[in-house]
Amino acid sequence: MLIFAASDKGGTGRSVTSANLAYHRALAGDDVCYLDFDFGSPTASAVFDVADAREAAEDRGLHSYLIGEVGEPERIDIWARTEHQVLRDPPPGCGRLVLMPGDVSGGEFATTGDHVRLCVDLLMKLYYEFDLVVVDLSAGRSYAVDMVLEATAQTEMREITARWLVFHRWTRQHVAAAASLVFGERGIVAGGVDRGHEEEALRGAIRFVRAAVPDPESPLWSQVSPTQSAWMRKTDSDLKQLASNHGIGYSQVLGSIPLEPVLQWREQLITDEDVLDSQIANMETWRALSGLAARLTDDKYWEQA
Amino acid sequence: MTEAVFRETTAELRTQSVPLAHLSLELGHLYMEDFEAGPERLREHFAEVRLWVDAARASAARRTGGKRPRISTCFLIDDYFTRFSTPAELVPLVLKEAEEAGLVIDYLARESGCAVADRIELAESVRHRLVESPPPGSYGSRPSVSQTGWLANGQRTPSTKRAALGEVRGWQPPQETAARNHSVFMDVELWSEKDGRRLWSCPFLAAVWQLARLGLLRHLGEPVLVPRPWTGEDFPTDWDRLPPLLQLNPRAAAFSAYRTCTLMPNRFLAVEDAVRLILDQTEVDSGALRQVAERSAREGLAVPAAVAQRATYVFYEEPVNATAPEGP
Amino acid sequence: MTTAPGQPARPVLACGEVRTCLLPSFQALDGRAAAQLLRLRADEHVRVSERPNLYALSPEVLTGVDCRLPTSNGAKVRAVGTVATRVALTEGRLLQSTAYFSAPAAGPDTRRPWGHYLVRPGVVEPFGKLPEQATAEGVLRGAGRGELDLGTIAESLLTRLLRHPLLDRKVPFKSRRTHLRWTARRIPAGERAELTRFTLAEDGLRTVELRLPEDTPVSAAAGLCEDLALHDWLLTTVVHMLDSSRLAAADGRAAVQALRPAVDHLLHLWMPHAQVDRSLVHLWEVLEREPGFTRQWQNLVQRIRDQLAVQAIPLLHQALSTS
Repeated sequence: MLIFAASDKGGTGRSVTSANLAYHRALAGDDVCYLDFDFGSPTASAVFDVADAREAAEDRGLHSYLIGEVGEPERIDIWARTEHQVLRDPPPGCGRLVLMPGDVSGGEFATTGDHVRLCVDLLMKLYYEFDLVVVDLSAGRSYAVDMVLEATAQTEMREITARWLVFHRWTRQHVAAAASLVFGERGIVAGGVDRGHEEEALRGAIRFVRAAVPDPESPLWSQVSPTQSAWMRKTDSDLKQLASNHGIGYSQVLGSIPLEPVLQWREQLITDEDVLDSQIANMETWRALSGLAARLTDDKYWEQA
Repeated sequence: MTEAVFRETTAELRTQSVPLAHLSLELGHLYMEDFEAGPERLREHFAEVRLWVDAARASAARRTGGKRPRISTCFLIDDYFTRFSTPAELVPLVLKEAEEAGLVIDYLARESGCAVADRIELAESVRHRLVESPPPGSYGSRPSVSQTGWLANGQRTPSTKRAALGEVRGWQPPQETAARNHSVFMDVELWSEKDGRRLWSCPFLAAVWQLARLGLLRHLGEPVLVPRPWTGEDFPTDWDRLPPLLQLNPRAAAFSAYRTCTLMPNRFLAVEDAVRLILDQTEVDSGALRQVAERSAREGLAVPAAVAQRATYVFYEEPVNATAPEGP
Repeated sequence: MTTAPGQPARPVLACGEVRTCLLPSFQALDGRAAAQLLRLRADEHVRVSERPNLYALSPEVLTGVDCRLPTSNGAKVRAVGTVATRVALTEGRLLQSTAYFSAPAAGPDTRRPWGHYLVRPGVVEPFGKLPEQATAEGVLRGAGRGELDLGTIAESLLTRLLRHPLLDRKVPFKSRRTHLRWTARRIPAGERAELTRFTLAEDGLRTVELRLPEDTPVSAAAGLCEDLALHDWLLTTVVHMLDSSRLAAADGRAAVQALRPAVDHLLHLWMPHAQVDRSLVHLWEVLEREPGFTRQWQNLVQRIRDQLAVQAIPLLHQALSTS
């Protein structure tokens, strides 16, 4: 299965969250490949802590592949190459976790037939090999989004299950922007239909992920004044209403990720060690990620609303 | 080593050989405009060609060391790009004018036979055999020509598309791969698509024609464009009913030969230069290549290793009263 | 140059890379479909053989190269010529593409007209002297950027084939490709071919080092390496299948589901040196002694059969108790 991770704007935690999802699936035994299609600012190597390996692979990454400069993009085996102590000892029974990095000097580029063909070839090849392929796309209406919409519309990819996660923060502006990215003019749905996707099928393959959501019931906020607490609840429920008005209400949401300082600041994978031993990350975050990871392939959550 | 007991015919490959003359001499290439210019034009043509035919024969005889060389002549009529007249009307006219100039046309071919002959797609097969000459720096990742429909003798001017915030570069010249100090860059269109149909370019069909004359074409190991004998009956009124290659002279030497010599007006210079470019980047059937090399060597007439080197030309000036419009 | 035109200098080294993958087709292809898939050229036959197994081999196609050779000592040697590529399909199931070339001990110091190289298919000529050892090691280590890249060439042919409309692009199970790089040093004709090393590296990479008599065609070495790569792929894939089926932990149904594709699609493919040139068959014996390819395979097959038998017991009980 292919998972495309998109977001309305930067700063939604899209990259770090989708990397965590890939990690969770690999822990659960799947062979997972993570593609960094965030051409403007590839960051995945930092998330997986493989900076050295990526440096060695500079100019052989996805960007160089898509412009036809190298025949095959570099692969980095995370378990073997990471500098992260915990990741280096994956538990028995886990699957492979492979990163295909971008190129730092890459930048965005206009898509042409060639890029699309190379993109199709690559996605097909990975689809034959991996249980799950996670593709992290540049924010907004980017060339990366265009390219994969075009690629997945090609006849050879029609049969393949591809799902979209659209990440947005839990604010008024982000809710509106995420809805517009998907349903608006020149949005994912309209753009996909233009390129030959069937509208219903494409809509059915898109779900939203609310990122950095403060939970008013969390112990984090137990010390706030009653007024503040009431305001928080009110705002949260207003946002829910707003999301629903924009067509991205509860039924369209695959999951929420709580506001988590480790995700926000460190932008790294959250390991069980972070939760259990050093306890710098919250158990709720771990559970949310794990639940979301499981729902990626659980058809029950992807039935047409 | 002992013979294998078990054999499977589908697992074995064989390349059949074809009879070979010493020289295949092309007496001309007829296009509609030549025909429209009237019989005088043909007469002029053959009168001029006659002189060069003698020279070509003398050159071949020098090679065979005085021994009488086996030379076959051929003539090609375009029925691919434009259809005009009928074989019944045209062929006798061509034969008559040739005869009056003292020339014998041994083989007559239709240009569309270079695209498809006897339901075998010759041009398509040759397309699969193009191996682009790699510009320096090619390590194996270049897309093949077969996707673009163009074949060059070097590197094109790089396109201007670039990554966002990528380096801005000015115009870069194209570069001929085999350049000596300076480039003569050439880019040849091999085919175009029109209404979903592929139209082969004149140089590409002419390259197929050269390969046929050099005895280097095979289909699944079998010879192609095999000459059909003419038994003196009337020529058909439809080009499609004329065999792609007709043997008019029963005593003629073999159609294919170690070398070719083509006599044509100098306006075809660019087309034939393009033909050389194509031949230079075509990997021909290795079995056929070996057969020609071995047999020519046995006769003491070893052919040049590179296929394009086996084709020679005489470009003559066209008569002033018969200036033709541009190209085919 | 002293070599006559048309008489290539004797090659001293041959190098290749094989990529092996599962054909993305739900059903295995029959001989006719295999021939259709592998028809890289309209005018050339695909060799199809039905005994002792269904095996189809495409005609060779060439890729022109003009670049540095990979070398282990950093020596910069430019080389020009053509790399030959071919594709084989075994039992309509396993697809392999090989890119390979031969190199003479020395070549001219300037690039010749392209026609010179085209009549020497599969030969890459160095400018000056070929650093034989360093090149062989460089090829096994893998090409750096801008160096002659056999893997890329083999891969692009594979990719082209996988776009064929004949394929329904449905894989019966997930599997990874393996790469096998090989080098063959030439030894005098009449001596016995040797397999001097077979290395299992990370990331699905395997390397093979051969010594090949001059009178053995390089295509025979390519065929041997394809055969080794195919059997190594089978071992690698079935081992991975058994690993990820998590036999002990998983419930019966999951284990059966994970192992079933092996029974359906793979177990019958084991047939060492079925299509290998007779003069090279004895090289298999080395690998049968150490580490024992067939021994490991039989063990895996036994494990799978036992697992499926064990999983069937509860079903049997169920059937008995309800009858």
